[in-house]
Amino acid sequence: MVATCSTRSNPLDLAFRLGRLVAVLVTVVAYLLLAPFGQITLALLSWLWRKDPARRARRLQTFTSRAYRFMHWWLSLSRIIAFDWRRTAANLPPGPCVVIANHPTLVDVTAITAALGGAISIVKPGVYNRAMIKPLLAGLGHVEGPGADPIRAGKVVDDIVERLSWGLPVVIFPEGTRSPPGGIEPFGRVAFEAALRAQVPLVSLGLRCDPVYLSKDVPPLRPPHPMPQLTIELLSVEDPEDADSSRTQRARAEERYRTWTSEVAAPPSNS
Amino acid sequence: MSEEQLAARIKEIIVETLALEDVAPTSIETDAPLFGEGLGLDSIDALELALAFHKEFGVRTQENDENNREYYRSVASLVKFITDKQAEAASSES
Repeated sequence: MVATCSTRSNPLDLAFRLGRLVAVLVTVVAYLLLAPFGQITLALLSWLWRKDPARRARRLQTFTSRAYRFMHWWLSLSRIIAFDWRRTAANLPPGPCVVIANHPTLVDVTAITAALGGAISIVKPGVYNRAMIKPLLAGLGHVEGPGADPIRAGKVVDDIVERLSWGLPVVIFPEGTRSPPGGIEPFGRVAFEAALRAQVPLVSLGLRCDPVYLSKDVPPLRPPHPMPQLTIELLSVEDPEDADSSRTQRARAEERYRTWTSEVAAPPSNS
Repeated sequence: MSEEQLAARIKEIIVETLALEDVAPTSIETDAPLFGEGLGLDSIDALELALAFHKEFGVRTQENDENNREYYRSVASLVKFITDKQAEAASSES
């Protein structure tokens, strides 16, 4: 299960590694060059559809999810990191729901959004309030996170419930940060409270990248060998009628993820 | 109400509001952190406590106050927060 870096250093192997490093560099440069055009297009569409925030968010989310699907197609094609969003999408329930997931890589949000065909995320206040991207994030319906202020959680829950009423799924990483290799951090309760209040299903997804890549320890410019595979597994779908309290739901979810990560999640490779 | 009495009442409110079945109010240390390593409370718990403190003491916790994390750090910091707010309200009334 655990893929590790090959210890062979034959010319073919070195050429393969070098090729993938070049692919990563080309992708990063292409992203930096093309991202402003995508942002300008989103800004224009956001302005054109400004009258109805719910409709605007749904349309912009569709646009964004297609861009993410293209991005993951390219990342797979260039052998940087493989991910098949179709395989994940086939297992997901339709309609608004709260999706929780562990957070092992940098591309978790894009992968889940690609699979869901659009999803609201919770964005850290420091990122959300950057002048250049705040209108885009607001247009897409993304929610500003609570940051260090615990009392803001109420506003965050209200905002999530509103987005769910727009018919959009909401993705939340209940750890509030990147997952440690092969494990999880303690979960917050915002996701469970929002699902309960909105009376929508709570979907648990398990993400795994094997070998480990785009994590806290393995940055983009150190692509491991062999090509990493990002997979998303549907762990459970909880009906809102079965939920008693957000506290017990959180405890159940934490236990589910602990069991799952101990069974399948890969520890970090040394590449 | 003295600070000791206020601290004791805050501990009772924490246990009652959050339905902490296995925690006795007297077992909560006044200076121990309420979040993370201490009692392990989270932001939704803080929200529920804010509502309970408003109901009990008439003290409102403002959203987006950058000091909220400090106010809710421990029972001792909550005692200071509540007494300060009550003193502010009393001085504005007089």
